Amino acid sequence: MSGYGGAGPVVHDPTTLPADDNVTKYTFCVELKGSPWFLQKGKMIAYYGAIEFNGVGHGRLDRLVRTSFHSPLHASDWVVAEGSGRMLLADRAFDVNSYDLDDGNLTIRSGNLLAFQPSLALKQSIVPGFLTLIGTGKFVAASNGPVVFLEPPIRVDPQALVGWADCPSPCHHYDHGYLTGVMGGLRAMTGLGGASGEEHQFEFVGAGTVLLQSSETLMPEQDTGVVPAEPGVPGRTGTPAGHGAQAGAPRLPGQLGDLQRRFGL
Amino acid sequence: MFRLQGNKVLAVDMTGDAVKAKNGSMVAYDGRMAFKKLTGGGEGLRGMVTRRLTGEQMTVMEVKGHGTCWFADRASEINLVSLRGDRLFVESSNLLAADAGLRTGTTFTGLRGASQGNGLFTTTVEGHGQAAITSDGPAVVLRVAPEYPLIVDPGAYIAHQGNVRQSFQSGVTFRTFLGEGGGEAFQIRFEGDGLVYVQPSERNTIAGDL
Repeated sequence: MSGYGGAGPVVHDPTTLPADDNVTKYTFCVELKGSPWFLQKGKMIAYYGAIEFNGVGHGRLDRLVRTSFHSPLHASDWVVAEGSGRMLLADRAFDVNSYDLDDGNLTIRSGNLLAFQPSLALKQSIVPGFLTLIGTGKFVAASNGPVVFLEPPIRVDPQALVGWADCPSPCHHYDHGYLTGVMGGLRAMTGLGGASGEEHQFEFVGAGTVLLQSSETLMPEQDTGVVPAEPGVPGRTGTPAGHGAQAGAPRLPGQLGDLQRRFGL
Repeated sequence: MFRLQGNKVLAVDMTGDAVKAKNGSMVAYDGRMAFKKLTGGGEGLRGMVTRRLTGEQMTVMEVKGHGTCWFADRASEINLVSLRGDRLFVESSNLLAADAGLRTGTTFTGLRGASQGNGLFTTTVEGHGQAAITSDGPAVVLRVAPEYPLIVDPGAYIAHQGNVRQSFQSGVTFRTFLGEGGGEAFQIRFEGDGLVYVQPSERNTIAGDL
């Protein structure tokens, strides 16, 4: 076609695809050479080579699961990719990035984690809806907009929080005026009288890093499985109360600011 | 001549020639332009009947004039494809614009279409010229050659061009029914010589949860 020269789209083939790096901001290429990867179901968009996908419950993978997958309760959401080749991962056109952990720990919202190397151990966090990775290795996570790294002490918006590393104290924070008095309570429950929508935050103190995404769009929640119904185990609060909505907005998954929990019910 | 202005707006410079574009996708133009709805995708009566029967419906307009016309569709990313006598297979919903000189038609895709949730038929564009396709997030273009076939998730596939054979590959085993499937139960395998366009996002497919 006239006037249409070499400015065409970049064409990738197995030799030009990067190994364990981003192809575009939204697509990540994993090179598989012998060592398997765990990935969330349905995040693979294409691959070259011979790669086999098996459910985590697959008998042959039992040993692998025993050493690096400590969340039997949501095993059905994860698959193991094995073989050799290059595999592209993406998730709903969200930004994807890889992170390296060096003998560290990182807790991440369950929907944001796409894939990880089995040298990391995946565990369910005590905080409902979050997963913790411990060990050394690489993992791939998605976020809506680029990820921002911040140092505590910091208070963050619940919807913007992607995860945190090394912080010992993730906790809730409520603006004082919002919660005190009858009027404050009424406002909290009905949204009447106006609310800025920022009365509730997550607070982090201590040494560590907090990861934020640059928008408040949440990834759809991945089920992290139910926790055992034991006394002292958080996350089992019984039947949700009907008045849990915060300031008019419907309660978003992963948001921990329910009234029931706030009042210790 | 097609050019991208940013990633989400297509600008077409025209000097008396015409382009076919998705109905209602014009966002701005300068110069003199005429917009004409093409009944049945501009493929004549036979094409119209085929499209109606196959459900691969496409409402297309013909834009003709002098000047520049800008097109966009729901802020989705736009990818330019240049055709030199080869054939582009694309879902009608992903085809934004094409040179008027390109022939469009419908073909049967078989099981692949069913697995994508897009129906059993797909749109073909052939000839010499340029086409613009939309995707959710910028598309990644992957080459298929005889020595390296490519396997694609049906939900992420948007288009392919060239001399490519596609086959449907299923990973459904008894484990799938036990709820321990590999999560990638249906895949399309591309062999031959050509390019495959993949978007960094997955449509909901019937097999999405297997």
